[in-house]
Amino acid sequence: MAVNSVEDILNLLISSAFRRCRMLDDLCRLSVSLKPTRPSVLISVSDTGTGNILEEFSELEYKNNRILSGKWDGLLSVMTTSSSDKEIHHLKFDLKEVVASRRLVRLPSVTKSGAKFSGTEVSLSLYEEIDGLVTMLHLYLQKILLLKAFVSSDKLFTFPMFHKIAIELIVESGGGTKSFFLQNACSTPATNAVNSYNLTLGLEEYVSKHGNKLTEACHSCFSTGKNLKVGTGVACSKENHQNSGQVMEVVIIISNMSMLDQSSCSRLYGRRTEVLYFNDFSPCSMPQSSLEALNSIDWKNYGLVLKSVGDLDGITILDTLPCSHSNRTDRYLTRKALKLALSDLKKRNTGTLLSERAVKICNYAPDLAKTISGLIMSSLDLNFKRECFSLLGLPSPECEKDIVENCIKDKIVSVIATNDSGRRGTKEAPALFEQGPKKAFQGVGEYFDTS
Amino acid sequence: MGDLLKNSIFFSDQQICYADILPPSEVRLRIEVAILSFLKNLSSSTPSVSDLPLISRKRSNSRVSRGLLTENARIFLSDSFSMKSLMNENSANSLIRVWKVMEMCYQILGQEKKVTQRELFYKLLSVSPQYFTSQLQANRSIQDLVALLRCSRYSLGIMATSRGVVAGRLMLQEPNRDVIDCSVCGSSGHAISGDLNLLENLIMKSDARYIIVVEKHAVFQRLAEDRLFNQIPCILITAKGYPDIGTRFLLHRMSREFPQLPILALVDWNPAGLAILCTFKYGSVTMGLEAYRYACNVKWLGLRKDDINQLIPEESLIPLKPRDHQIAKSLETSEILQDTYKEELAAMIQSGCRAEIEALYFNGYDFLGKYIGKKIVQGSYI
Repeated sequence: MAVNSVEDILNLLISSAFRRCRMLDDLCRLSVSLKPTRPSVLISVSDTGTGNILEEFSELEYKNNRILSGKWDGLLSVMTTSSSDKEIHHLKFDLKEVVASRRLVRLPSVTKSGAKFSGTEVSLSLYEEIDGLVTMLHLYLQKILLLKAFVSSDKLFTFPMFHKIAIELIVESGGGTKSFFLQNACSTPATNAVNSYNLTLGLEEYVSKHGNKLTEACHSCFSTGKNLKVGTGVACSKENHQNSGQVMEVVIIISNMSMLDQSSCSRLYGRRTEVLYFNDFSPCSMPQSSLEALNSIDWKNYGLVLKSVGDLDGITILDTLPCSHSNRTDRYLTRKALKLALSDLKKRNTGTLLSERAVKICNYAPDLAKTISGLIMSSLDLNFKRECFSLLGLPSPECEKDIVENCIKDKIVSVIATNDSGRRGTKEAPALFEQGPKKAFQGVGEYFDTS
Repeated sequence: MGDLLKNSIFFSDQQICYADILPPSEVRLRIEVAILSFLKNLSSSTPSVSDLPLISRKRSNSRVSRGLLTENARIFLSDSFSMKSLMNENSANSLIRVWKVMEMCYQILGQEKKVTQRELFYKLLSVSPQYFTSQLQANRSIQDLVALLRCSRYSLGIMATSRGVVAGRLMLQEPNRDVIDCSVCGSSGHAISGDLNLLENLIMKSDARYIIVVEKHAVFQRLAEDRLFNQIPCILITAKGYPDIGTRFLLHRMSREFPQLPILALVDWNPAGLAILCTFKYGSVTMGLEAYRYACNVKWLGLRKDDINQLIPEESLIPLKPRDHQIAKSLETSEILQDTYKEELAAMIQSGCRAEIEALYFNGYDFLGKYIGKKIVQGSYI
């Protein structure tokens, strides 16, 4: 794995710490601490996940570029132990070292004195402004938080079965220690918490904080509760001799309020849609194959127009640095999961994401409703009117025309929404006269009391 | 055998779809059934917006009914449907139009009034201008409603305006009104009413021996001015082009009242002339639902290919236009056309020319009357 920038190395360290936490079937903590030691900043990423991580570091490749070489000496100090180890290993990696055998230096181990625990701490020194680093880490941890894989401390014991990771960011400055313990209230989790459920909760929180508030939801926008529309989709590829089987999960959230109306709220991407992409539980840029999948969706079926990926009506994709390779399975899975999620959202929220075609048809609903209600109301036959109202589920023939009209309109719109499955002409409506008009009109005189 | 069966009177009359002539109260009932059916579908456990099943007014749904003992044949519509669905972007607009016209008719019927298509169009235009931009659109929606409810346009409270005029040896009397003598109406003739009810109740008297259907108003005027009916005892009638329902209704009424009178047609020698003749004779597909019953046994007096060869100078012949070929093609494929007509049509296309009745004036203004007389005496009509 190539490391090109300070951001790369930090993201890498945090996501591998996060992975170690996930691998441990227990509650975990992930801490990132920053300590200014002029002229550099000492950063340590520690976790209580499974230890023994030698392979991860041996795969790292230090790209000797000018930007990075001025900021990092390529040294990583690692303390790690697994629960079965009797001691804590102390290692030093010099990624700048050309001879592979000399990269890893083992330093004297520290005894655990019989205690049973596991964990890892990786530290490094960077020649960077501390404020910039804190902002960068904030954003990154924010995305990790989306995975909802942690629980606040007071809930730790409430849901012992719930695999959780607490994340904290500690910044030591001259005056003292400032700690951002990144916690939030947890909604009731499912006992066999599936990932997409966690992801949904996480995304909901992310949206309610506009993606840039750490601790609290935006009160002015979400004073009446989270008015969010959610859809999820999961696509799996089967395991075979060529690949080991993949799962793609997509969660889509639409928030109802117009963000731009709230001048006091700043949202990073305005009205555009943010796409967050995680690969193996670590936030990363979207691969080319998934970008292609985004482009290949027929957005019109959902009443959306894709201006462009990267900057488009409805969609802005963060980190759209394309990867070099395009993977067909990836593309297929993204597309499938995305479509499932969109359909799911549509199904759960009637009237949302209507296709361009359905929106057009909906425009006819008021006129049709007005005409039919006009027909009903202009009748002088009370029996007929009564029958119409009872079919509509309206109380009495004294109803105002507006009530009848709205009732019919709502019913028509809901039929259109229900039938809007993205495929054309999927369901044929029954004809006005089921057994043919001839039969319908036969004995019509007896149908009503015409006297 | 299949065709024979399909077209025999025994078989075909079972599939015949036609528009009933109903009193207002029954039409209102049909509309109410339509509304209830719509609401039922909309409120069912699997709700839907009903499609409108209209009797298809396409050629493919037309059938020919031939009498076994008489020469009479007519076109009628069978029972295949064209569906108008709200869910189909292409038909949603016209579906709304049908409902709008229904609403309007329901109100008119409630007031026991009659309106003309023109009046109805402007009423629709004032209420829903976005749906009705032309008279044609309104007329088509009215026909759609006829095809949905299967009652005649007249039953819906819509009066047809008639362009037709009649002249000659015919006395007409509306109940409790004065008698109109059509022989003294001058060259413009007596205008035919669009009120079918009125036409149905006319008291008619005539001592004519022939009924002559004229395609063009100008020719009609010439014949009326020349008082042709004084030389040949006849009734002259024209619809000024393609026949409207009022004119056809009156002609059909006359043919029932005076069944012994042959009906002879004088049309241009071109495909449109033949098409007009055929509409009088067999009915038309587009109006099939309500007009099939007004088919009359019209004979083709002229112009015909023999006249062209003998009486029309070559300089009066006009080359056929694309539109002529189009009409010819549609006539050629019509199974109802009798063989002698097909021969005439083939001759037209072969010559690549058409001729107007007025070309006979080459032989003098009074020639037209002589020509008709000669043809009648010779029994030269097909």
